[in-house]
Amino acid sequence: MGVLRWFSLLMFVASPSLLMAENVAVLADHLYTMADGAQGGPGMVLIRDGKIEAVRTGAHQQSPDGYTVLKAAFVTPGLIDADTTAGISGAYNIPADQDQDEATDPNTADVRTLDSFNPNERLLKVLNQYGVTTVQSAPGPRNPIAGRAGIFKTAGTDSGPATVEQLVVRQESAMVFNLGESPKLTYGKKEKAPTTRMKTAEIIRRALSDAKAYEEKWDKWKKDGSDISKQPARDMKLEALVPVVDGRLPAIFNAYRADDIDTAIRIGNEFRLRYMLASVTEGYLIPDAIRRAGVPCLAGPVMQRFESLETANATFENPTILKRAGIAVALMTGYESYVPKNRILLFEAGIAAANGLGMEEALRMVTAGAARILGIDDRVGSLAPGKDADIALFDGDPFEYTSHVQAVLTGGQVSYQRR
Amino acid sequence: MQVRTVGIGRSTLCFWIFVCAAITASAQSTAGQATLVIRGAKVYPISGPPIEHGVLVVTNGKIVAVGEEGKVKIPRGATIEDASGKVVMPGIVDSHSHIGIDPNPLASDSGDGNESSGPIQPGLRALDAIDPADPNIRMANAGGVTTANIMPGSGNVMGGQTAYVKLRGSTIEQMLIPGTIGGMKMANGQNPKHYGTKDKAPMTRMEESALARGIYEKAVQYKAKWDAYNKAAAAGDKAAKQPDRDLELDPVVEVLEGKRVVHNHTHRADDVMTAIRLSDEFHYRLVVQHGTESCEVAGELAKRHIPVSFTMVDSPGGKLETINFDLGCPATLEKAGVKVAFNTDDPINSSRLIIRQAALAVRGGMSEEAALKGLTLYPAEMLDLGDRLGTLEPGKDGDFIVLSGPPFSIYTHVLETFIEGQKVFDRSNPQELRYATGGFGVADRAPALPRGEN
Repeated sequence: MGVLRWFSLLMFVASPSLLMAENVAVLADHLYTMADGAQGGPGMVLIRDGKIEAVRTGAHQQSPDGYTVLKAAFVTPGLIDADTTAGISGAYNIPADQDQDEATDPNTADVRTLDSFNPNERLLKVLNQYGVTTVQSAPGPRNPIAGRAGIFKTAGTDSGPATVEQLVVRQESAMVFNLGESPKLTYGKKEKAPTTRMKTAEIIRRALSDAKAYEEKWDKWKKDGSDISKQPARDMKLEALVPVVDGRLPAIFNAYRADDIDTAIRIGNEFRLRYMLASVTEGYLIPDAIRRAGVPCLAGPVMQRFESLETANATFENPTILKRAGIAVALMTGYESYVPKNRILLFEAGIAAANGLGMEEALRMVTAGAARILGIDDRVGSLAPGKDADIALFDGDPFEYTSHVQAVLTGGQVSYQRR
Repeated sequence: MQVRTVGIGRSTLCFWIFVCAAITASAQSTAGQATLVIRGAKVYPISGPPIEHGVLVVTNGKIVAVGEEGKVKIPRGATIEDASGKVVMPGIVDSHSHIGIDPNPLASDSGDGNESSGPIQPGLRALDAIDPADPNIRMANAGGVTTANIMPGSGNVMGGQTAYVKLRGSTIEQMLIPGTIGGMKMANGQNPKHYGTKDKAPMTRMEESALARGIYEKAVQYKAKWDAYNKAAAAGDKAAKQPDRDLELDPVVEVLEGKRVVHNHTHRADDVMTAIRLSDEFHYRLVVQHGTESCEVAGELAKRHIPVSFTMVDSPGGKLETINFDLGCPATLEKAGVKVAFNTDDPINSSRLIIRQAALAVRGGMSEEAALKGLTLYPAEMLDLGDRLGTLEPGKDGDFIVLSGPPFSIYTHVLETFIEGQKVFDRSNPQELRYATGGFGVADRAPALPRGEN
């Protein structure tokens, strides 16, 4: 054990970015566990084998023997970006590294982020350095039915390049539907459907309806004795939509304008989907409708450019107004088509914090709140025994422009340390 | 008689309308001439250390006094605003913006930044395409911006003449700063190469430089002809033939004569060196715009006293030449002795968050002092306006902003923006608040947080 401890310390000194310490004690002046209870007091988080072993609150904590000690002014759970194209839309922004939009067919329900996700994409490193340890990586905005998102860590726990399998939290986390301008502009240019919002809605409704019929056909075939000669033809797109109409796989409706958000609610209710709203740029105009639908929101980045009419009414106050209406809100960075190639969740949450939400509520939206909405709160989003040791360490208020991320632990490993 | 009386009545009415209009106009200008005093705030004059309990006095749109409470004489009849607990600093100068020319989609369905019919366009003037009604200009006020260098885009090697404007008024004439002619926009690197996709020049960086050298050589020759003619004409030579005037070359001559600064879009370190090489060759004054990798050649910039107008972005990439973007670059430039300004490149970054540009440089290691100068004095100097803008000193324009707290805290908001003593933004006004937070396009149905809550 003594030898191991020395080995850990040596590794820490020699190569801080690849710290192999198995036992780590994180000491905080201001500890935000985002678990139940008061936040922001002094405390200590103990980590063993990549998981949180114990959390102790109160001043003057002594780290047990055999633990490498990290200290910081502010300590929070690793942040969770609820919806981004990071991992499938690369930093270079050239065709070679852009895999977010399979814009060849308005229905690509059969595709999965998992199969395009580049675990060694440099943007993931950038996000990790800003404390973002988990992302839901989702297809881009161009297809009415865009495919399946997945949830991934932004850093692996092994040294060297990662495989996507090492980063997976959920292989398939949601089916993404896009409403509004992007689908109709994409296909309108090619004189293909959809060229209107009407058609986008129809394409989605028809596919969901067909998926129900497809499932019934298969159920009937099974009930009738599973005669292989009578087996229905397989349709990978419809097959992918079956768990959505069953409510086993959540749907994400990406919508910006208030009436598009309303369309999402209409379709969600019609097919009794388990769904959430993404981007929701004008959600603040219809908070009551969203609350009545009982649907969580992944609020889009407010520092994004006004590249389209549908985002021109973005307001810094959107997350605050939605939250106050009693809606469950997480924050997302979405898709960027130019410079910068990805918004930074930490920065977006800061704008929310400074525009009515306050530091703690904004932090909740990008940690425990996001984890609950995405259904991954058993593993991430708060610092509590048994959870993944994904932890961000800051030298000041995490959202202040001039604070720094001092270190990030992902799965108990130091994935970033400020030099 | 009846008819005639009516006639007189009409002209009398016209007269009174005229008088009323004149009275209104004079009332407005009188308001401008009133003395405005801001007291109690922590004042950052930029020309010196912060004053804990400061007083700022503005008369006729000009600063007449700045100093400690009790040591500054407050003129009789002045309008006094108590700004205790707040912060006052000079109005922000954005040395690289496209507001009004690449407008918000609500104001226009197209931008006018890039004339993509040819890569050399020195005859173009940004002022002919700026829409003073663009809401982005009001959003810039909400971010504390009082002056901007509005430029053509970076799609051309020589994109046209830039405009130095105050962000107020409903015509470009009211916006333009008297006595200024603007700069010249140039670009190298990736952007002008878009012509290559149409099988037109430039397709390479080599050709970009060749095109730039071509227009400068032409201007050198044109200037020589005019110089010879002017000399002969001054000597009384009646036979001297006046050269034809060339609207494209006149502004390039102004560059060669040092009257017009070149604002050169450039990111990659080798592109920065190419911009320097051209300015060395033709002896013109250069501001490096963007300068993403400029810290790699900081020494070359420092020894030539070439400043950098830096564009801060949230993350690297989106285009190849910004792939090495680093928050620490401005700090490196500062240490090398290069003056750094922070721009928005609006619409790349929203003008209402321009202070954030400098704050992120502080995060990257820059001193707060240099970062504050990078929002005020240094960009003013880059526009040759350092003698009238950028600090709070007597004699300078009364352009200043009132902040709710420390300049570089995310929790600080711009409360008020003044241009030449006139308030152009007031956060306590719910309509104007929408320019700071968003949603002005639907302001009449947009719910807002209770006033003052932020």
